[in-house]
Amino acid sequence: MKDISFLAKWAKKFWKKVPDQVVRLSIPILILIIGFIVMRNLLVPSDFGKYGHFRAAAIDELVSQEIQYSEHEMCFECHDDVVKAKNMSYHRGVECEVCHGPAAAHIEDPEGNQLPAPRERGYCPLCHEYLPSRPTGFPQIVSESHNPFRACVSCHDAHDPKPPTVPKECEACHAEIARTKALSHHVYISCIRCHKTPKEHNIRPRAHRPEKPSTREFCGECHDEKAPSAKGVPRVNMETHGERYVCWQCHYPHLPEAH
Amino acid sequence: MEEIAHQLAPILEQITGYIYPNEIELHWRILIVVYPYITGLVAGAFILASLVKVFNVREVQPTYRLSLLTALAFLIVAPLPLLAHIGHPEKSLEIFLTPNFSSAMAMFGFIYAWYLMAVLLLEIWFDYRRDLIIWAKNEKGLMKWIHRIFTLFSTDTSERAVRFDKRSIKAITIVGIPSAFLLHGYVGFIFGSVKANPWWSSVLMPIVFLFSAIVSGIALVLLIYMVVTLVRGKEINMACLDKLAGYLFYTMIIDFSLEALDFIHRLYESEESIEILSQLISGRLFVSLIVIQLLLGMILPLAGLSSVKLFRVPAELRRHIYFVSALLVQVGIFTTRWNVVIGGQLFSKSFRGLTAYKMSLGGVEGLLVSLGFLILPFIVLYILVKIFPPWQEAKQP
Ligand code: HEC
Ligand code: HEC
Ligand code: HEC
Ligand code: HEC
Ligand code: HEC
Ligand code: HEC
Ligand code: HEC
Ligand code: HEC
Repeated sequence: MKDISFLAKWAKKFWKKVPDQVVRLSIPILILIIGFIVMRNLLVPSDFGKYGHFRAAAIDELVSQEIQYSEHEMCFECHDDVVKAKNMSYHRGVECEVCHGPAAAHIEDPEGNQLPAPRERGYCPLCHEYLPSRPTGFPQIVSESHNPFRACVSCHDAHDPKPPTVPKECEACHAEIARTKALSHHVYISCIRCHKTPKEHNIRPRAHRPEKPSTREFCGECHDEKAPSAKGVPRVNMETHGERYVCWQCHYPHLPEAH
Repeated sequence: MEEIAHQLAPILEQITGYIYPNEIELHWRILIVVYPYITGLVAGAFILASLVKVFNVREVQPTYRLSLLTALAFLIVAPLPLLAHIGHPEKSLEIFLTPNFSSAMAMFGFIYAWYLMAVLLLEIWFDYRRDLIIWAKNEKGLMKWIHRIFTLFSTDTSERAVRFDKRSIKAITIVGIPSAFLLHGYVGFIFGSVKANPWWSSVLMPIVFLFSAIVSGIALVLLIYMVVTLVRGKEINMACLDKLAGYLFYTMIIDFSLEALDFIHRLYESEESIEILSQLISGRLFVSLIVIQLLLGMILPLAGLSSVKLFRVPAELRRHIYFVSALLVQVGIFTTRWNVVIGGQLFSKSFRGLTAYKMSLGGVEGLLVSLGFLILPFIVLYILVKIFPPWQEAKQP
């Protein structure tokens, strides 16, 4: 009993020592802290943070959304011919539903839910129109001049789009380089003068690669001071000009510039 | 296709070279220029105030309370441009309720709240407490109640209580300086940590931001002090003004050296981005970077301030030089923010092209709204000054 009264006395004494300011400030601070805790309890959804920095129920909401898309393996059951053909073709990386739209409903009831097929000419250039930012080698055309007015699908099978005839010109696939060269001093030099190209390259370009010049002497065949080329060809001293670098470290071969 | 081409044609005029489609339009516009500018002023004004308390610089005592109130006024406005830019201000609460510790941007809420409540408000409260009690005693009506509420109904003006006030202020200031550094260093950090952007990505960014913040804060308090004393018809305290200008001068030199260091470092490193950055500097940013930021905002005021240091200049002329220099510094620091925020988005991440920024007049992201945000702190400051007069004379003996 005695001990407790002593403690109470001591606490009273201590409390008196706490500056008035601290007591007063602690009230708004307490209100803030309690307010924060109450708000957190009221406003933060109870399942927040169960799996990560989000509401766990958000997953259920997403799961409960209606499924629109299917998968090309699902098509195999009924369209095995198309799937097989496409898997062998250049469009093997392009999903069926990219062109035909979401197909989940079609699989449930094919007759009731017909899928559209993009037969119109404007569609394919979405991917194939010539754009400088597309990588070299990606098949591109300028739709205004590439067999105009006819539907693409009248010549190219959408599921196996290889050209009806093997392209003869390199330009069909290397449009940017061809266009660049057409404006350059090398305009009259054909591609195969510099790139020995196997015939198969035009059919399966990645499997059969053309050669590329690899030495300084190659350009020297025309540009060396002693080369037997035509008179107008500008000459350089192969020993001193450009030193030990290959020529295309300074001159882009498809658009050589000197000035 | 035709239609798209027609819509694109006018936009394409603002582009040179090659640029990715999502880089044509800037996403961080004038509001995001205003935001670091204002936060910088807060940090600068506070650091000036700390000089009095921590380093006992007697001369700038007349601006102590004014700097605190200025910092508070600007701090209250600082997040508003952000809220206007992002939209849905009501959702800003969520960054407190569900804190995301791995996001520097989300942490801003906490830095801001800490700075506002644990530093600025506390320091102002302790500093004004005794005066507020005495004012309230002699007042009537609304003002009495306002003052009483702000003292939290405290009535203790004893020697012991005042001593505790003083000691608390000192402690808060010591915590406050790193906090102010954090507040504005944070803003620089946000930009400096954008790895993909060579114009921003630099460890020096937070430090450069900090020093330009201190420069702008000191210049602002100097301007406000001069204008306010003029309006009140009082005598300007020349010793104070000289000291302020001195601090302005030295911090400007540090700021200038840091920015020069950053620049030389970039030049020497000559990363692959150097080509496009030099195009940027010599083209789109020439006026705002070289002419306004460097010449008008840095060299000219530095020349003015150093001429005062070198020659004997009469007080009248000194005042003019200080005023014009401080004004130029404000313009300079604002364009610094502009050059960082806008400049960093003018070039393509492909390093092959540039776009342009056309500011709109109206709309949330327009010039008028930004001007509003720049004027608002002064209105807040006016109200604060009415409630908490910072003048020496108002101080109770
Ligand atoms: C259960 C069998 C079945 C499955 C699975 C199926 N289809 Fe079909 N699909 C059909 C039938 C049957 C038709 C013919 C409907 C008609 O002509 O009325 C058809 C027609 C089509 C058509 C023709 C549209 C036209 O204009 O001629 C397309 C395109 C098509 N399906 C795409 C797909 C795709 C893509 C998938 C995979 C995601 C798929 N189908 C999966 C049964 C199926
Ligand atoms: C590059 C776009 C594209 C892709 C990818 C594509 N299709 Fe087609 N598909 C078309 C076009 C265009 C037609 C219309 C062809 C025509 O009328 O000559 C068509 C027609 C069809 C038809 C009806 C005519 C036919 O040939 O039997 C079926 C079935 C079909 N596609 C199924 C598929 C399936 C299954 C896949 C995926 C394995 C697929 N398509 C991928 C564009 C595409
Ligand atoms: C009259 C038939 C015809 C029509 C219509 C046609 N093409 Fe072609 N396409 C060809 C031929 C033939 C080639 C082979 C290269 C050459 O000789 O130009 C070819 C080549 C291509 C190539 C380059 C092939 C490669 O391997 O790189 C693409 C891409 C192409 N066409 C897309 C289209 C698109 C898209 C359309 C519709 C806008 C279209 N074609 C319409 C006949 C046609
Ligand atoms: C979603 C984009 C996309 C669409 C739409 C598309 N293609 Fe393709 N196409 C490709 C890709 C990817 C390749 C393969 C390129 C490669 O392997 O380098 C390709 C290749 C081709 C080739 C070259 C085949 C070869 O043998 O050289 C032709 C021709 C072609 N597509 C025609 C068409 C036609 C016609 C259409 C319209 C029915 C079409 N494409 C729609 C993406 C697309
Ligand atoms: C059917 C389309 C097609 C035609 C036609 C074509 N190419 Fe190619 N070419 C390609 C593709 C695809 C690549 C591979 C691009 C890549 O991997 O980046 C390629 C690559 C090349 C390369 C680079 C090889 C390397 O190892 O880097 C050269 C050189 C080349 N082609 C020259 C030619 C020449 C010359 C012609 C005309 C005689 C020609 N090509 C015709 C599609 C074609
Ligand atoms: C004067 C000689 C010359 C001519 C003509 C020429 N090339 Fe080349 N080309 C080169 C050289 C040299 C390289 C190697 C550059 C390198 O290795 O960096 C090359 C590289 C290439 C490459 C691979 C690198 C790249 O830029 O994608 C392709 C593809 C290519 N050439 C296509 C063509 C085509 C298509 C033509 C005709 C339109 C053509 N070239 C005409 C000299 C030539
Ligand atoms: C088949 C002969 C031939 C070969 C091989 C050849 N060139 Fe040329 N080159 C020419 C001709 C012809 C001209 C001048 C055309 C004109 O201006 O009338 C020329 C012009 C040039 C020019 C001057 C352009 C200017 O602005 O005046 C340069 C540079 C050049 N070539 C570089 C090269 C390089 C590098 C190579 C090796 C990759 C090369 N050439 C291979 C025939 C050739
Ligand atoms: C280090 C860079 C460099 C290299 C490597 C280089 N050149 Fe040049 N070349 C130049 C420059 C720069 C000029 C223009 C100034 C001049 O005329 O010397 C030029 C000019 C030329 C010209 C035009 C001369 C005239 O009289 O108009 C030709 C042709 C040429 N180079 C061919 C070559 C050939 C072939 C090679 C490889 C053996 C080569 N260059 C390697 C830099 C280079």
